[in-house]
Amino acid sequence: MRDSICIHVDGATLRVESHQTVTSALMRSGISAVRKSPSGESRGALCAMGSCHECRATVNGVRGVRTCLVNVEEGMTIEREQPVLRTSMGVSAVHETKSFETDVAVIGSGPAGLAAACAAAELGKTVTIIDESPGPGGRIWSHRGSPPVEARPWIERARIAGGQRLQGYSVIDGKPRELKVASVKDGTRHRVLCSSIVIATGARERFLPFPGWTLPGVVGAGALQSLIKGGLPVSGLRLVVAGTGPLLLAVAKLAVSEGATVVVVEQASFADRSALAIPLLLSPSRWRPARELWNSLRGVEMYTSSWVTSARGQQHVQEVSIRTPQGIKTLEVDGLAVGYGLIPESRVAAGLGCEIDEDGFVRVDEHQQTRVPGVLCAGESTGIAGSESALDEGLVAGIVSAGRNPRSRLLARVRRHRFWGQAIEKAHPLRDEVLQLAGAEDVVCRCEDVRAGEITGCVSRREARLIHRWGMGHCQGRVCEGSSMCAALEGSDSVRPPWTVAPPEARIETSR
Amino acid sequence: MAIPHFLVVGAGIVGAACVRELARAGNRVTVIDSGPGAGLQGGTAAGMGHVVVNEGDTDTLRLCLRGRELWRSDAPPMSERDSYWETGTLWIAEDEETLLQLEGAQKKLESVGVVAERIDGRQLIKLEPALAPDLAGGLRVPHDGVIYAPTAAREFLNASPKVTCHYGVSVKNIGDGIVELTDGRNFEGEAVIVATGISVLSILGEAGARLAEKVSLYPREGHLAITARGTRILDHHIVEAGYQKAAHSTSQAGSKAGSVACAILPRQTDQLCLGSSRRPGEPGPVDPNMMMRVIDRCERFVPSVKTLPILRTWTGARAATSDGKPLLGPVPGLQRTWIAAGFEGLGITQAPAAAELIRQRIMGESCTLDPWPWDPARPYKDSSALTKQENDHA
Ligand SMILES: Cc1cc2nc3c(=O)[nH]c(=O)nc-3n(C[C@H](O)[C@H](O)[C@H](O)COP(=O)(O)OP(=O)(O)OC[C@H]3O[C@@H](n4cnc5c(N)ncnc54)[C@H](O)[C@@H]3O)c2cc1C
Ligand SMILES: Cc1cc2nc3c(=O)[nH]c(=O)nc-3n(C[C@H](O)[C@H](O)[C@H](O)COP(=O)(O)OP(=O)(O)OC[C@H]3O[C@@H](n4cnc5c(N)ncnc54)[C@H](O)[C@@H]3O)c2cc1C
Ligand code: FES
Repeated sequence: MRDSICIHVDGATLRVESHQTVTSALMRSGISAVRKSPSGESRGALCAMGSCHECRATVNGVRGVRTCLVNVEEGMTIEREQPVLRTSMGVSAVHETKSFETDVAVIGSGPAGLAAACAAAELGKTVTIIDESPGPGGRIWSHRGSPPVEARPWIERARIAGGQRLQGYSVIDGKPRELKVASVKDGTRHRVLCSSIVIATGARERFLPFPGWTLPGVVGAGALQSLIKGGLPVSGLRLVVAGTGPLLLAVAKLAVSEGATVVVVEQASFADRSALAIPLLLSPSRWRPARELWNSLRGVEMYTSSWVTSARGQQHVQEVSIRTPQGIKTLEVDGLAVGYGLIPESRVAAGLGCEIDEDGFVRVDEHQQTRVPGVLCAGESTGIAGSESALDEGLVAGIVSAGRNPRSRLLARVRRHRFWGQAIEKAHPLRDEVLQLAGAEDVVCRCEDVRAGEITGCVSRREARLIHRWGMGHCQGRVCEGSSMCAALEGSDSVRPPWTVAPPEARIETSR
Repeated sequence: MAIPHFLVVGAGIVGAACVRELARAGNRVTVIDSGPGAGLQGGTAAGMGHVVVNEGDTDTLRLCLRGRELWRSDAPPMSERDSYWETGTLWIAEDEETLLQLEGAQKKLESVGVVAERIDGRQLIKLEPALAPDLAGGLRVPHDGVIYAPTAAREFLNASPKVTCHYGVSVKNIGDGIVELTDGRNFEGEAVIVATGISVLSILGEAGARLAEKVSLYPREGHLAITARGTRILDHHIVEAGYQKAAHSTSQAGSKAGSVACAILPRQTDQLCLGSSRRPGEPGPVDPNMMMRVIDRCERFVPSVKTLPILRTWTGARAATSDGKPLLGPVPGLQRTWIAAGFEGLGITQAPAAAELIRQRIMGESCTLDPWPWDPARPYKDSSALTKQENDHA
């Protein structure tokens, strides 16, 4: 059922469909820029999954709400960020802080989190699932209305198994037996007391800066997928889907099925990707989906060994240049989606004291246990290997958190998935050219408008951070640390509370 | 004649200021710091950057005042975002009793020539509408301000000619003008200035150990937080009266739980820096309970603090001395070795003045301030150590 409801944007009333995120409702109404950067540029959603903070606005009077994580509601007010008023009048806590007690706290409700929750609950444990998104499913199963077929059994099992659901809450702080969560909508804080924790926070997209990447209308590849699933219509639009990895094809397939004209631009070479043939042959369960994918993409213009070199437009992206083996091509577009693969989201794990390897993955043993007693991790934050792998790892973590031993067949499956993940990774090596697209004048840290030229010559992350404000913004480096400029810097940043910047706990009471 | 060559160990705000002083007097200077650059480690990377004159005894007041004068007139060139910004300090009294103390503070400030203006409760709200309505009153010190110390440290070095920097190398031991690195290398200079903050006495060998028996140096941790942009609801630096008492009293060693006082600093980036706590010990990871206490205390004075999103939190350590005064001068028992450390929560304010004093003494010039109160030989009855080294250099 999709009703039409009214929301108020900067004082103007908009009629929009219900059951969609604020970001997609705004984009649908032609508003792709929601905020101004420190130097006054217009900015809009980039990742559409809560990590970039570019879509934040004041929602129902609450500052710093990530509009991609919140669904529209009747009468909702949305204002672009304004400076806070200088007043000491009527400050109130919005809601009371509660404590939830549970055996197992599961962070993330993607495939890994859902599977862990099901397994633990079916073995008799009480489970609390915490997730920032408005609904269960994580990245791949994010949906509007009814969930995708593959997801249904898991969501149903989790429902039957019962337990608490803190959907729309970020984990912002904590220690092994206690987590602190904050509502993405109004900042309400709660505590979750638990005997064990399963971290299933997945992965986020890697963004590489290039001239024009900050224009509204330039989003991540996975972001386009989330936006379409969240209700953004793309019928009749000309879209470029660029970057690297199998995700591009999935996104293109979805956009084409929704009526868009799509050009796919993959930076990996055909030779690199043909290395996937053997692992694919060894993995019969993947044959059918692969064939379906190829069939659905017939007739889609596709470039390999090619990449986007720049995007241009007034207030919104209008033109994209791509570098192909045949030379530079310029395309007129309505939107550009670019993502260079996935990187693990391991902030929560790091905050809890788990060991993180040099690529940012959480180190776990065969039972998905981290070095911290009572803290387990499953899914993409331990290695990028797809949703089947996330499900199986989640099962292992759920079973272990319930004090049982997983069957060796299940453990063997997890090992096979890892092999597949590594094959995918190897088939899409990032080429040097895409790592060096940003010119001296281009923004590399979007939150703080730090330009590439400012940090060339920097040796350490500390210097880039303390002197040039690189990584000091709302996303705390989640976007800019994926770039090659960051990889070249010495040292790393430590995680401290808040693990995710959340709306404030309290509000100024309006006397109306 | 060869150009004299000095070594400065530690490129925090104090070491960096010393480098500039020595370099612009025509000397060659080599800087050594274990961090990846100037001002990126230690207190300088953590401090709030409030340049403030309001402190118990008149000696310290003078050092702060001279520091502030130099920040105002002689700071290295920096972008508007980082350079000296005259916010003024507003000391706030919660009740009448504390207000009386502020009267005393005002007299003391005036005695050394610092302008300070008393503000009653009603004027307070006019001046800063975000303050709680029930506060008793305050004291406004107009020329105080804020400086961004990591950039200042870096620019002190950039503004200096004839400077060689060695970063990422640690000093193991220092004696009689010779610096020994942990990687086995040695450096020798006309004199060494040691400004490594908390670690200073531990790298001065036996002389350091002997000095430590008289004046010990210990870390005092502090917690800070920064809000998101668009939240600068204050023009002044707001500090609760009594802050300094809690911050700098020397007999706090027993208080493991630590103490908390409100200090809120507006930044040019349209943010607020919220502080602060003090607790004996090295800075550890952020302790959420301590952070909460700090924010609650800030909320007492500026209620809407709880309506501002917090972006990041961190801890740092101040290097405190057992008698509450920095160690500034020649190291007793060593030749050609000078110390500049132990500035507690005032090192950013005092750095330019401390560096000026070091230069004046090393170069045998007359001193702007009487150096004796801070001289490392102060606990020794016999003051001959004070003058001996100076004669060596004069
Ligand atoms: C943008 C994107 C698009 C993708 N599209 C596809 C696709 O089309 N096809 C495909 O096969 N694979 C796709 N993948 C890969 C797919 O996500 C994984 O294979 C699989 O879903 C991983 O499952 P997971 O449970 O580990 O993590 P996820 O599904 O990513 O779930 C993690 C969950 O944790 C939550 N979370 C993270 N941090 C916090 C926090 N601090 N507090 C509370 N909650 C938190 C998130 O909101 C999210 O719901 C995509 C991945 C991304 C990042
Ligand atoms: C929370 C907090 C708030 C503060 N707020 C203020 C304020 O508002 N106003 C104010 O005036 N002051 C403030 N301070 C105090 C101020 O930050 C310090 O007094 C000042 O930064 C000290 O500077 P420094 O150069 O002496 O030492 P540091 O900044 O600690 O520098 C020492 C340097 O020496 C190097 N080093 C150390 N050991 C070695 C070694 N063995 N070999 C080589 N190099 C070494 C380090 O890498 C470092 O760069 C605050 C401090 C804290 C912790
Ligand atoms: S892009 Fe967010 S901090 Fe750099």
